[in-house]
Amino acid sequence: MESIRYISKRILQVIPLLIIVSMISFFIIRLSPIDPLAELRLNPSISEETLQKEIQRLNLDKPIIVQYLSWGKSFLKGDLGYTSAGEKVSVKLKERIPNTLLLTVIVIFLTWSVGIPLGIFAAIKKETAFDRLLTILSSIGMAIPSFFFAILLLIFAVKTGWFPVGGLTSYNYNEMSFWGKIVDLAKHLVLPVTVLFAISLSGLQRQMRANMLEVLDSDYIKFARAKGLSEFKVIFKHALRNAINPMITLLGFEFAGLLSGAALTEYVFQYPGLGRLILEAVMKSDINLVMASLMMGTIMLVLGNLIADILLMLTDPRTKGKSDKSGGAV
Amino acid sequence: MKRLLGILLTIFIIVIFLKGCIRADIPELEFSKHITPSIKNFVYPDENKNVVLNGVDYIKSQAPVGKFGGEIVISTIGEGPKTFNPCNTKDATSSSMAGLLYEGLLATDSRTGKVIPQLAKSFQIQGNDYTINLRRGIKWSDGKPITADDVVYTYNEIVFKGLGNPSTMDAMMIDGKLPKLEKIDDYTVKFSTSKPFAPFLRQLSYPIVPKHYFKTYSDKGASVFNAFLSPNTNPKKIISNGPFLLKEYVAAQRVVFVKNPNYYKINLNNEKLPYIDKLVYLIVGDTNNEILKFEAKEIDVIGLKGNNVARYKEKETESDYIIYNLGSDTGTLFIAINLNNRKNQGGKPYVSPVKQKWFRDKEFRKAIDYAIDRKSMIQNVAYGVAEPLFTSESNNSVYLNKNIKGHEANTKKAKEILSSAGFEFKNNKLYDKQGNLVEFDLYTNAGNLEREALGVMIKQDLEELGMKVNFKPVEFNSLVNKLTNTYDWDMVIMGLTGSPLEPHDGKNVWTSNGTLHMFNMGVKPEERFEWEKELDNLFDEGALKLTFEERKPIYDRYQEIIYEENPIIYLYSPVRISAIRKKIKNVYPSALGGLLYNLDEVYIDK
Repeated sequence: MESIRYISKRILQVIPLLIIVSMISFFIIRLSPIDPLAELRLNPSISEETLQKEIQRLNLDKPIIVQYLSWGKSFLKGDLGYTSAGEKVSVKLKERIPNTLLLTVIVIFLTWSVGIPLGIFAAIKKETAFDRLLTILSSIGMAIPSFFFAILLLIFAVKTGWFPVGGLTSYNYNEMSFWGKIVDLAKHLVLPVTVLFAISLSGLQRQMRANMLEVLDSDYIKFARAKGLSEFKVIFKHALRNAINPMITLLGFEFAGLLSGAALTEYVFQYPGLGRLILEAVMKSDINLVMASLMMGTIMLVLGNLIADILLMLTDPRTKGKSDKSGGAV
Repeated sequence: MKRLLGILLTIFIIVIFLKGCIRADIPELEFSKHITPSIKNFVYPDENKNVVLNGVDYIKSQAPVGKFGGEIVISTIGEGPKTFNPCNTKDATSSSMAGLLYEGLLATDSRTGKVIPQLAKSFQIQGNDYTINLRRGIKWSDGKPITADDVVYTYNEIVFKGLGNPSTMDAMMIDGKLPKLEKIDDYTVKFSTSKPFAPFLRQLSYPIVPKHYFKTYSDKGASVFNAFLSPNTNPKKIISNGPFLLKEYVAAQRVVFVKNPNYYKINLNNEKLPYIDKLVYLIVGDTNNEILKFEAKEIDVIGLKGNNVARYKEKETESDYIIYNLGSDTGTLFIAINLNNRKNQGGKPYVSPVKQKWFRDKEFRKAIDYAIDRKSMIQNVAYGVAEPLFTSESNNSVYLNKNIKGHEANTKKAKEILSSAGFEFKNNKLYDKQGNLVEFDLYTNAGNLEREALGVMIKQDLEELGMKVNFKPVEFNSLVNKLTNTYDWDMVIMGLTGSPLEPHDGKNVWTSNGTLHMFNMGVKPEERFEWEKELDNLFDEGALKLTFEERKPIYDRYQEIIYEENPIIYLYSPVRISAIRKKIKNVYPSALGGLLYNLDEVYIDK
């Protein structure tokens, strides 16, 4: 009962947040000097009437506040409107969301299933050669910018011819057999996954190592060891359960990044995901598309935090009932 | 000591590795002419002919007979097509793809620039009447015949109602009146214009669409019609008449076309074209990715820019591609000078009266024209891949006035012109008769690296004349606002694209009531310069004459005026260089059409 009340309270808190985020972003986009019609204005073959029609179609002749209200009204009805090129925003998003999810889910699965054990292992073998090597590797991973790493891999693909240069499927994808399709997808995914994996793995591994070290240093672990428990039990039964809690909050953020976390890498690899779509939309000031993606990002972030809090409630009895203090990273 | 040695060794090894990454300098191209082969060496055998086989009016391609089968992969930069509705295309990608699906009555011959029949079998012009005879027996992709009803529907219910993209309607409007169209019989239609209007004929290249497929949507009004045939339409439902049919569209990845078995073009052996089975457009985000895809052999054709030209040229002999120089682009780069001498609503002059005196002085503008070094601009900014430009028609225009030869940069002559116009040099600075220091602003749009580099060079060239130039790159939108709204600018570096076939398209820039008459925006008829009056008359006159021979002298004179008066000083236009894999045959590159305008005739032979 307690937890249901808590969850509904958190959901209600989202409403003012969404209003504020949408207002700020709407006004910033509209007040920026990007004129969606500048290209048309300088086209010698466009007549004045055509220009006026376009202005009316895009609602640019009305004051910003009216534009915002009419956007908000249709957003509430679930209508995301049309892009500046006249396509449905919802259709455009639907085309891209599965692609981005495919990429980010694989990356998150890989980083977590490799990063957590590595972090634990590094903490246990603290100050050994293995730990030092991991430290160096993860420093490199954290220092290298994702777009730069992506470009290096692209050059590698061109020089060796082992991997396709960007994209998600080959042009004859639809004529392939089932297994052919899987192989084709895998070939296209290797490079972007490598970039995202290498970069988020370093951070996650370091985080896990630090948490683990902190816990291993605490009194109750010393006590457990003194009691004569086996090292396996000390680490996996006592230390790990405490060390994993902060990681769950992190998992909430990972959830928020599911749809938006890979934009730069997507752009370099010409991956047909949301990131590329939104980047192009921002550059053209395509307001409905940008607003839809920003709203989606906000909702995902709030949802991610909520999920993390619920998971924390399940794993950590201490947080029960007073979660509003520990959560709310929004 | 040992540690220090270790560090030094590591640095040494890293340096050795990095050395491998540094490439020898790219050789410099002096002029684009160094890029062979010149496209004049590739002459198409003969004009295509109409033939009748089994009661069907085919076009017989005169290109050598090739092999059937295979596929060509090309690329399109950007976000891909926004619509496949040929009546509603507003960007180049959408219209070129819709152009593969739908053809018009007439077309422009990409080799000669002449108007040639396409869906029409032939056409006759008598006074203001244009009679068009259609091909008999040709079909839509669903097997229904293409008849005069489809033509009448396309023009009367789409073009003349301004549905979709209204630019064709705008262009067909003569003094506010649209032409009339009537059906004579099932295979003949007649257009009548209210008075002779030369640009009209080329507008008949507007794509013809199937009435039985489009009418349900066009009847529902603009918003339904604009959303019709969006990229996500089921390709099987699309009924078209072009050489290719849509096979699939995958957002942000590719568009695939297959050949249309009902197409009306045949080869010399009377076999139906096109040769290739499949045409794939890969949607790539930017030019860098396109280059990578070409190097990884994922695409077959690429347009080369700037320093890539020299690099590809160097590797050409050992590669599987040929580089073609397609000649000048239709784009032009120029400096416009603000000749405005009017006041804004607040009574303040748009341009300060001191500057007005200089800018409205023909000699001052001429001096600037002489001071500008186009040759070094081309070498340093355009990597040699451009041709100097001295007047408003681009170098590939059929109406280019070839008598205008241009001139070399000549600072000495420029100084003489200024002195004789009453300007004075003191301590390397230029002063006018009243003793005012000559100083003005030069704008361009920030972020355009080419124009920013040009600005720096122009500033240097003009400072040799003692002028003080404040070069100010500003955001594109504020620049457009200055040009079309507030008129508070002195000089600006800009570019526009023109038409290589129809000089009348420039009327918005050159006639005094045009919407882009930027150098003297909003001028009243009685305030016009003498030469502005002449330009107005020339444009009126040119549109009324129907033959090339009658029109040429008129448009020659208009280019002369611009060359003499210099309200806009032209700099250069880029040259198009493209590389294409050798396995693609029947390529007849042309300055107007580029490399692959004849996709229905090219074939693959390895």
